[in-house]
Amino acid sequence: MGPRNIFIASVAVIAIALGTWLSFKVASPPPVPQVATVLPVAGELPEFSLLDHNGDPVGRDVFKGHWDLVFFGFTHCPDICPLTLQVLNSAKNQLAADGFTPLPRIVLVSVDPERDTPESLAQYVAYFGDDNLGITGDLAELLKLTNGLGIFFEKTASDDENYSVDHSAVVLVINPDGQFQALFSAPHEIENFVHDLPIIMSRQ
Amino acid sequence: MKRIIPVLLLALLGCACSQDPAPFVASDVVVSKPKPGMNMTAGYLTLSNNASQPIVITHVASPQFESVELHESVIEDGMARMYPLGDLTILAKSSVVFQPGGKHLMLMRPVGEFDTVSLDFYAGEAVVLTVNVALSD
Repeated sequence: MGPRNIFIASVAVIAIALGTWLSFKVASPPPVPQVATVLPVAGELPEFSLLDHNGDPVGRDVFKGHWDLVFFGFTHCPDICPLTLQVLNSAKNQLAADGFTPLPRIVLVSVDPERDTPESLAQYVAYFGDDNLGITGDLAELLKLTNGLGIFFEKTASDDENYSVDHSAVVLVINPDGQFQALFSAPHEIENFVHDLPIIMSRQ
Repeated sequence: MKRIIPVLLLALLGCACSQDPAPFVASDVVVSKPKPGMNMTAGYLTLSNNASQPIVITHVASPQFESVELHESVIEDGMARMYPLGDLTILAKSSVVFQPGGKHLMLMRPVGEFDTVSLDFYAGEAVVLTVNVALSD
């Protein structure tokens, strides 16, 4: 094969490779979340002043520097709250097993500040994995955060201390700029978080 | 021969009776240890009524907890809510499943230290089923 033929063959190989790559690129649109709702424009969080599970004061800056999965619940919740936190922890473990980084942090914001002290939250959130964050504190300050995010909660009528709290079941995704980026509606499934979180987190 | 036939019939009946399921049984029973710092937990199970009549469970009690309530979690319009079940009717030849995110036993205020929980299911004043289960993590 002469130099001319080698040149033609090389051009042909490159053209085929380029064509294949382009066709693959055009035929494979970027993956999209299958369950999560991603906000077209990430929203700023309202100002608030609460306590973390160590009893230290925290404001909206506590969400900066991490991807956070934020759930609003309470420790005396026997079913939905532990179930949701277990789902989030399992999803995080699955992402870790897949080699995904950075791993999101799990945050429980108490909608029952009357009973949820920093001490009780510290024990509770630690049960559902490492590096989790619990937030509680003054009701009026809590309402600043929840009202700003469209989160609702309501203490149910009860004549004793064994009241329950109805609450939004959504899981919010807060980006490392401390902005409300996306949300997962209930019911929550491990595979939905494992599928959607890498997509959401890669878009920012 | 006339004496043998009744004996065989009785033997066959005996075999049939021994294979009948118990009229009211629990399976897949799970009671988790209370989470750290908590004085309550949840219990899950399947209750099966194999009898030909419905059964109505009015309440549940346990020596290991001061209070046991039948509850149901539901997601309504994005809100997680919990309702007391009240009397629970299990139809003839039917089962009711208690599972995470749905019906559950809410066990409150544990009494002392224990590894096994005993649950007494009442129909009115009568205990119709007692279940013993080891606490799970």
